Amino acid sequence: MKVLSIIIKDLKIVLSDKQAIIITMLMPLILMTILSMALKGSFMDSDDGGIEKIPVALVKQYDEGVDSKIFIKTLEKRLNIDISRDEVNPEKMFFEDFLGNEEVSRLIDFRIEEEGRARDLLNEGQISAIIILPEKYLYDMKINLLTPFRNKVDFKVLTHPDRPVAGEIVTSLMEAYANTMSSLIIGKNVLIESASANDLGGDSFDHIDEIMEGMTDLVAGIKVNIDNVAVEGRRTIKSTEYYAVAMMTMFILYAAGQGGRMLLEEKDNQTYQRMVIADISKSHILTGKFFAIFLIASIQIVIMLAYSHFALKVNWGNIKSLLVLSTASAFSVAGLGIFIGSLTYRAENYRLANAFESVIIQVMAFLGGSFFPLDFMPEIIRKISFISLNGVGLKAYLKIISGYGFSDILNYVSILAIAGILFTLAGIIIFNREVSKNA
Amino acid sequence: MLKVENLYKNFGNIAAVAGISFEVKRGEVFGLLGPNGAGKSTTISIISTLLPPSRGQIFFEGESIFENSRNLRQKLGIVPQDIALYPTLTGYENLRFWGNLYGLKGAELKKRINEVAEIIGLKERLKDKVEKYSGGMKRRLNIGAALLHKPDLLIMDEPTVGIDPQSRSHILETVLKLNAQGMTIIYTTHYMEEAEELCSRICIMDEGKIIASGTKQELVELVKERTRINIKLDNISDNMPQVFKEITGVLDAAILDDTVTLFGENGDILLAEIISKVLEEKSKIQSIDIHKPDLEAVFLHLTGKALRD
Repeated sequence: MKVLSIIIKDLKIVLSDKQAIIITMLMPLILMTILSMALKGSFMDSDDGGIEKIPVALVKQYDEGVDSKIFIKTLEKRLNIDISRDEVNPEKMFFEDFLGNEEVSRLIDFRIEEEGRARDLLNEGQISAIIILPEKYLYDMKINLLTPFRNKVDFKVLTHPDRPVAGEIVTSLMEAYANTMSSLIIGKNVLIESASANDLGGDSFDHIDEIMEGMTDLVAGIKVNIDNVAVEGRRTIKSTEYYAVAMMTMFILYAAGQGGRMLLEEKDNQTYQRMVIADISKSHILTGKFFAIFLIASIQIVIMLAYSHFALKVNWGNIKSLLVLSTASAFSVAGLGIFIGSLTYRAENYRLANAFESVIIQVMAFLGGSFFPLDFMPEIIRKISFISLNGVGLKAYLKIISGYGFSDILNYVSILAIAGILFTLAGIIIFNREVSKNA
Repeated sequence: MLKVENLYKNFGNIAAVAGISFEVKRGEVFGLLGPNGAGKSTTISIISTLLPPSRGQIFFEGESIFENSRNLRQKLGIVPQDIALYPTLTGYENLRFWGNLYGLKGAELKKRINEVAEIIGLKERLKDKVEKYSGGMKRRLNIGAALLHKPDLLIMDEPTVGIDPQSRSHILETVLKLNAQGMTIIYTTHYMEEAEELCSRICIMDEGKIIASGTKQELVELVKERTRINIKLDNISDNMPQVFKEITGVLDAAILDDTVTLFGENGDILLAEIISKVLEEKSKIQSIDIHKPDLEAVFLHLTGKALRD
């Protein structure tokens, strides 16, 4: 009953503080809305919850007619071969077999543009990337595919700096295409060399176009596996979802900051002393503070979940996992609040609590991926991100949203629970020592 | 009811309380009178179990409060010198919180809040946030929070510091009413008039020690021949007390702000010479008050300094 009174009183105090409400409740809602809209292009968002196709412009720097003529002349002149059939068509291989294949067409929505226009579209953000097929592309590819010679072909991929994921996908696709083509060409060369070695001579060239046609089926079968976009059976994270989680896991840390002030404020207000005289034990006071912080963080989570669900259409996934993870997150924040509160009480000033809010939370937010997705961060930051509570929470919430099961987030829940326990124990020890010292 | 025996409290090398003993009887208003820094608040902190003593004992209803603090805490109401309330909560929410901590709930708590609000005269303002209260109203609510559980012993530590005369008068009336209802009160103050008006027995403290104790009459007996003359001057110099002490019949003189307090054996006769000295010093008299022997005179007599120095 007495602990409950302390909890209710602390909640009323926090909820009557307009500035605190703005920082802890309103600010994250505003930020998650702004960031998710502003950085939408960095994610693979689509309205139907699947992957939105990446708009790409294709620029042909080559001239089909010129390339074909040169190729035929070259063959006649250098190899004395007459190849007039066009079954081996690099353009068809690229546009129909590659870009038209089921997996690639699910990711990319392409259109052919002039180079200048394509660059304008990229600058305006209307497309996410440009693929430039170089001069003499058809000629070089035919040489590569139909003769023993190898000409260098350089594709160019230009990407939009604000859309790193889209850029990475297009680059990966082109790399996959280039690798497949290289394999094809090497295979063809091995075939020709083997034919020559077995004294099959010019006969081997007679059917090379048929052989190559069969081999180009490989291109149509290119499998694209892009880890950070989608894993089989899981949903892709949209920008609204990412920043709803990112802001929530960051801003609940402010509850710990608020809690960090509570003990010293009670002492400064003389209400702590008054409570002691009213026969309220230290453990009652600390328990009251712990649950007050826990409830403040829980209220924040509920508000942010509700707002993001109804206003931003975030699908938070499995309710049971969400409930357990949210409880663990609020628990760890409460423990952290008690720890900071005890240190602040010992220091007899608010410098630590202020530094926590103005510096430490920002650092934790950065390390934990609340500002920018960790996939865009250097390896070292990704490795140390686990030290931030928000980072752990963020990864777990994203897993729930992606469709992972309860067992997949248990590790994260355990980390948060253990962190909460350790912080609480450390806080209790510091507070008890301080009170005993003053007694 | 409460017995303090040979109590000491040191903070490093500083002796805040230096071997004091006194007894508070059930049903009385017991005064601890002394200037700021005399050790009154430290004594109160020890009695209310917030601070352990360096040495000494305190018994409440015959039992050491250091061995069993629970009995005292349940029957003790404390009005701290500072406002120990939550400014962003309403008066009602504050009273309800403190009532809850003393185990009151439901209809009983509501009834008691109403009674206390009546006593402290804040019934109409309980819905307002405390931060919107005047200094006097905060002080009254500070008292109210200590009354909810009907304590047997109420400790009031300088409850009228820094408030308007109206609130002060209300608080003094409240103290007398509570005492009339049977509540035992320990009242600390550096206002001599308050101690005189409220307290049946008084301990005068200075520099951690009790320098005199007894009823007001017993204390005044120490200086019964002394008349106190307060002279408010326009232009006052530090050597003024010394100048007045040169007058035959002036026993003591001290300066406080723009007022010189003199003690003499016969105030009426001294008056002419005092005026003459003021004129010699080229000062200007704003007012002169002549008082019968009082606690101020006792304090000056015992310590050589004015009570509110």
